[in-house]
Amino acid sequence: MSVLRFSLALMMLLAFASQAFVSLTFAEVSEYKASLALATAEEAIVSAYQEALKAEEAGANVSELYVQLNKAGEYLARAHIEYKSGDFEKATNFANSSRSIGVEVQNAAVGLKDSALSQGMQRILFTMIASVVGVASIALGSLWLWHLLKKRYGSS
Amino acid sequence: MNVKVYRDWFIVGTLALMLWAASPTLAIFIHLPSGSEKFSELWLLGPGHKAEDYPFNVRVNETYSIYVGVRNQLGYSAYYRVYVKLRNQTQPLPVASDATPSKLPALYEFNFFVVKGQVWETLLNFKILDIERSNDFMIVNNVSINDFPFRVDSISIWIMKMNGFYYQLFFELWLYNMTSQGFQYHNRFVGLWLNVTA
Repeated sequence: MSVLRFSLALMMLLAFASQAFVSLTFAEVSEYKASLALATAEEAIVSAYQEALKAEEAGANVSELYVQLNKAGEYLARAHIEYKSGDFEKATNFANSSRSIGVEVQNAAVGLKDSALSQGMQRILFTMIASVVGVASIALGSLWLWHLLKKRYGSS
Repeated sequence: MNVKVYRDWFIVGTLALMLWAASPTLAIFIHLPSGSEKFSELWLLGPGHKAEDYPFNVRVNETYSIYVGVRNQLGYSAYYRVYVKLRNQTQPLPVASDATPSKLPALYEFNFFVVKGQVWETLLNFKILDIERSNDFMIVNNVSINDFPFRVDSISIWIMKMNGFYYQLFFELWLYNMTSQGFQYHNRFVGLWLNVTA
């Protein structure tokens, strides 16, 4: 009888201990998940920012990209705050929202950069052709005018 | 009239015209350095969006508002972070001489991007949630920023000369550095002294 009681008590003790262990492990997992989500979101935002800068340098209109990036930044800040306060689930959710926007912005920035680059190349080409034609026309026109003036007034 | 007299003037005029025609192409390849200074501005404005009526005597459980703003004059669109911190009279501020931030932990933060030459601004609400007070000292236990509570447990002693318990809410500006791939303190901070009363 006493062996039975002892076994029962031991089993209950083990059940309680395992519960505490499991909940501790869950907390650690969710903290790890949240920190991973935060790191991924930070990375996504930085990549999006770098692409937005490249698109801007290429001459694209990027104001809408920065509006979106500011939203992502807001979520990221909120995720940091939630993480510090220990609410890892909310931190993960905010970080994931931030990352999603970051990825969208990055894709949009790449598209804008490519189209701005091709438009820019066309513009440069047009400008260069116009300049070459202009310079050549002025040079030839001047020679012709000088020749004409010399012919008319050169001898007098 | 002998046109040879005007030959030099004619050549100069022709060259000037050719330069004018080539200038759009030259502008693509030749970039003159801009002489303007690169910097960022950080400011606080009172609740009326003016540099007046800043909260000073703050009571427990009353909400106070201020505006925080940043102007980007860096010449490129920048990624900023503003950390909001609270200190008593003895805790460290950032050091401007060696551009180091305060060692105090940030309570709240803002992450944002500012297009070159543009401004970012936001309203910040704060509230002292609860305090402990004796004749000589006060402990601010909790504050809330934008309705988000933070435990601070910050002690301030009574300052006889200024007749109050003083705290400073201050804001540090950090900038994302592409080279180091991380945020760096941008050596700008602004603060607001608060006389906390019960």
